[in-house]
Amino acid sequence: MPTAALRCEDLVKTFAGTTAVDGLNLTVPAGAIFGLLGPNGSGKTSTIRTGLGLYVPDGGHVELLGSRDPLAVRHRVGYLPEERGLYAKMKVAEQLTFLAAIRGLDQAEAARRAHAWLDRVGLADKAGSDTGDLSKGMQQKVQFAAAVIHEPDLIVLDEPFTGLDPINTRLLKDLILEQRERGATVVLSTHLMEQVEALCESICLIHRGRPVLDGVVAEIRAGYGRNTVAVEYEGDGAGPLTALPGVRRGEDTGQEARLELDAGTDPQAVIRAVVERVAIRSVRLEHPSLEDIYLERVGASPSPAAEDAS
Amino acid sequence: MNPSQIVKVARREYLTRVRSKAFIIMTVLIPLLMGGYIFVMPLLFTSSGTDELRIAVLDAGTGLAPALGGHLAAIERPRVEVAEQAAVPDDSEAVRRPYTDDILAGRLDGYLVLTPDPVIGARSRYYARETGNPVVLRDLERAIEATLLDRLVAGTGVDTERVRAWQRFDLDAVTVSDEGETEGGFEAAFFSTFALAMLLYMAVLINGQGMAMAIVEEKSSRLIEVILGAVTATEFMAGKILGVLGSGLTQLGIWVGALLVGLLYAAPMLALGPELADFDLGAVLSLELIVYFSIFFALGYFLYSVFFAAIAATCTSTEELGQTMFAAVLPMVVALMSTFYVIANPGTTATRVLSLLPPFTPLVMLARVNVLTPPFWEIWLGIVLLALGIVAAGWLAAKIFRYALLMHGKRPTLPELMSVIRAG
Repeated sequence: MPTAALRCEDLVKTFAGTTAVDGLNLTVPAGAIFGLLGPNGSGKTSTIRTGLGLYVPDGGHVELLGSRDPLAVRHRVGYLPEERGLYAKMKVAEQLTFLAAIRGLDQAEAARRAHAWLDRVGLADKAGSDTGDLSKGMQQKVQFAAAVIHEPDLIVLDEPFTGLDPINTRLLKDLILEQRERGATVVLSTHLMEQVEALCESICLIHRGRPVLDGVVAEIRAGYGRNTVAVEYEGDGAGPLTALPGVRRGEDTGQEARLELDAGTDPQAVIRAVVERVAIRSVRLEHPSLEDIYLERVGASPSPAAEDAS
Repeated sequence: MNPSQIVKVARREYLTRVRSKAFIIMTVLIPLLMGGYIFVMPLLFTSSGTDELRIAVLDAGTGLAPALGGHLAAIERPRVEVAEQAAVPDDSEAVRRPYTDDILAGRLDGYLVLTPDPVIGARSRYYARETGNPVVLRDLERAIEATLLDRLVAGTGVDTERVRAWQRFDLDAVTVSDEGETEGGFEAAFFSTFALAMLLYMAVLINGQGMAMAIVEEKSSRLIEVILGAVTATEFMAGKILGVLGSGLTQLGIWVGALLVGLLYAAPMLALGPELADFDLGAVLSLELIVYFSIFFALGYFLYSVFFAAIAATCTSTEELGQTMFAAVLPMVVALMSTFYVIANPGTTATRVLSLLPPFTPLVMLARVNVLTPPFWEIWLGIVLLALGIVAAGWLAAKIFRYALLMHGKRPTLPELMSVIRAG
């Protein structure tokens, strides 16, 4: 097993004059869960498709599971695309069997695993139903099963949590961790920062086709120092706490506030100011959350790139 | 290209199609409709529906009414009863009024008005409540014709029956080839060729359309991203075409089977009359023709399926597909329309060139084989060129496929496609 499951060097991908990926360098370490983050239209999906060999790069190169030809190792990859689709008129079990079989499993083994996976995601009783009759969440679980059924070395999940209820979100998280236990590398592309924080060891944040931040999550956060004051409080102070001097930015819901401080501001001074204003239930001095870092790096302004260029 | 991957894609495509409701309905409905058409229409046209026709004959000065009465009496099924014969001054509305009233009151089924004509002796009009039955009109027409003929030959010593036989003169054409002589000329060749051409056209159109729709659906549901992560675009396209071909052949097999059963059992029971009994299927469809038809059917089907697949790959919605799809069948429509020319002129340079151009070969060469039997080497040159055409089109389509399948929202432009093709 090479040390990197996916390596992109100076990757460029353009579409009709629009540059979706702009000289991207990216290394996904093998055996970890890797978060690929970025706003809509930042080039995540283009990066994934090029990395998996679905697009031919316009510049630079890709090394997928140690191979310069991504298509040569395609059977060792599992991919859950962001926009979901299955054969609506096909029986669920047959569909999974087919998707397993075209990844190189023989028919009997494919069928056996299809039923095992349906059992695992709680859809055993739907094996004979038309896929189109399943709810969205159920179809999503089927698609996740389809992405991992051939036990790939690299699993790429583009927004896997969209539309799942809390129970299924938990189930999916467990299943993703299970895949890592098995030794697989997981690339997770999502906007849900809590999931990234809960699952990913390292991340790459892409903005306008270029990485603006990458590395191990804990190290990134530590690099920012403990510059965030998290407060839970009761009663209303005079105006939002984000207006306090020394607070660079933050949010205040009226019960909870996260205050990111200017460099050089003494956190103790800010905490004292908070105590004077409101009745505190708890107060902590924290590393910034990934969301804070994300917002800082990408900016709160929406990306000018169009949605479909992603 | 990995054959086992193609088989897996083809297998899925085949099973999904064969089990679909549309397939089952089409498979059952088409023979029923065709059977209905073949067996019921002749019955409708040979029986008039009524047993007896009460008519009046109004003679405005031709003097033919009594003689016509004799010929009308000879008509069977429906028997014609001449209820009244009247001499009238002219065929004006006022004169006809009482008879029209009789029709409206149900006392008459209709009436014939004879008016003089300087050249052929008489003109005639038939007034009736029902004038749509071709059998009745034909019988009345023949009776009047016979009456006029009688008067024409009267006193010349010419036998009316001989004139009628002469009227039915027909030129029999015999096709001479290396294999011997075959009865039947343009008509037989035209209809058998046209029937085979239509069969191929329908098969390509229905199945190609179905496949194109399926590709656009896979594309818009993004399932294509998962599948293309597992099989190559070429494998995917080849599997799709084979699967659709398989389901098409299954359907055709069921239809041919139903037709044979129908001919074996239904035809004698329905006693379809002398015209059909005389129809010699073997004379029109030789074994040679069937072999060549199978070859051209399979190859033509392949070529056009590739066209359909390539076009479907560039479409982002079924609406867009509907607007573009005609381009795939355009060459076949041209070939179909040129069938007239080809059958009439099977040996000209234009026809020979046309029959060697892959998109036209299936229909045009088949027509030539049917009419003339071109040199053996020419037929096989056509087949080889067609096969090469399929390989070339498949290679091109696979490139378009790979590039266009993952594009959503917008269609690739022609220059984009050209650069993809050149890129290798």
